[in-house]
Amino acid sequence: MNTLFSLRTVRQHGLCYPDIDIAEGCTSFITGASGCGKSSLFCLLNGTAQAESGTIVYRSRPIEDYEPLALRREVLLVGQQVFLFDGSIQDNFATFYEYRHKPCPSAATMLAMLALCQLDMPLHTACAHLSGGERQRVYVALFLSLQTPVLLLDEPSAALDAHTAHAMLGALHAHCQARGASLLVISHDVSLAQRYAHTHIALPTPHKEQNHE
Amino acid sequence: MNSALDLPLLRFALVYILLLAVLWLMKKARIHKTALLITASMRMTVQLILAGLLLTWIFKHPHPLLTLGYVCAMVLFAIHRVLSQHRGLNKRFQWVVAASLAGSGLAVLLFFVCLVVGVNITEAQYTIPLGGMIIGNAMTGLSLALNTFEQNLAANTNRLASLLNWGAHPQDIVRPMANAALETALLPTINSMLGTGIVWLPGMLTGQILAGTLPTTAILYQIAIMIAICAVVCLAVFCSLYFGCHTLYDKHYRLILANPPKE
Repeated sequence: MNTLFSLRTVRQHGLCYPDIDIAEGCTSFITGASGCGKSSLFCLLNGTAQAESGTIVYRSRPIEDYEPLALRREVLLVGQQVFLFDGSIQDNFATFYEYRHKPCPSAATMLAMLALCQLDMPLHTACAHLSGGERQRVYVALFLSLQTPVLLLDEPSAALDAHTAHAMLGALHAHCQARGASLLVISHDVSLAQRYAHTHIALPTPHKEQNHE
Repeated sequence: MNSALDLPLLRFALVYILLLAVLWLMKKARIHKTALLITASMRMTVQLILAGLLLTWIFKHPHPLLTLGYVCAMVLFAIHRVLSQHRGLNKRFQWVVAASLAGSGLAVLLFFVCLVVGVNITEAQYTIPLGGMIIGNAMTGLSLALNTFEQNLAANTNRLASLLNWGAHPQDIVRPMANAALETALLPTINSMLGTGIVWLPGMLTGQILAGTLPTTAILYQIAIMIAICAVVCLAVFCSLYFGCHTLYDKHYRLILANPPKE
């Protein structure tokens, strides 16, 4: 299998990352204590942040060699903080796609993406009326619909109950496997990692924090 | 028609009784801005006395350079005011704001004095008061727009981060907020156009009528200056935000919103 990402001696915000290799087409889970740099790692991978030192290689080329927007559109990061516009689910798809100057996906595609995220709701539902967990699933479905070769999910199940979390991660895992896409997930839930991860990367607790404790 | 009566200083001083009434009310209502009101009214008094003396002197010794110098000083002061209220802007953005304010202010002033009024730009009697109105309003509008813009950026970090990760171009992400700020800046001017002539007579119209100008002439000036003010606010804000947006991201298309913290 080809290597998708490899990190060598990467430092950022005073944290030293271990050398990490992530294989293409796999589902990889990243776990670790709060403050160990999981979310920052994702920002390094999609190029919205820059490492202070060290090298990050994506598909055998240093990450700086890529055109930043193109990289970001290929290595799609679904952040932890959910943001949805006012209006319905359908409106959100339309607005988000407008920002990419792309035609909005069909209703069938939108519903399929929502179904993968374990959300069975009509597209005209107003997002303001959704619960936190429902909003998170709409958010993931939006990003999922772009069908990128790499998908980074930061705590996708933070607002979900264990049953729904397993169902959603299972569906996303199967979907990405079928498409040959790589899925990287940050999660606190070890049972999810044990169930779906091909690779499980546990980031070490930073020394800074150990000193405090 | 009579021109405005001279105002004896003693009777002029009576108007400060009104100010004392305001102060008394503010104290009673426990509004903590009494110090600001006192400072503001004192500054206004001193600044206007100085301006009055200076203008009298300039009108007595007309010289093109004096007029232009006065206008330049107004522009520089306006730039200073706007920038000192928005220290969070990055250096390049500050230059863009300064250039936009100076450029649009001077362009509209030149257009107004030379083409609409039809006198030479060095004519102090026209250029200085009109310049004050045009540049002053541009300053207020720009300040309002930048406030709105900065507040919008600060209140929408989630939206910015999400759209950035979504792969949107930073310019597209920031543009709607710039447009909202332009709208906010234009609203007071547009609203004053709506109310003008029905309830209140604007300052310049009042002044000209007091000075003995025919109301029909005075309204032409008033209409012209209001459109000029609208134009200069629109132009200054649009240029500042349109070109300023480009300073909000680097070559890696990462958003750089605030000045890096000083170490």
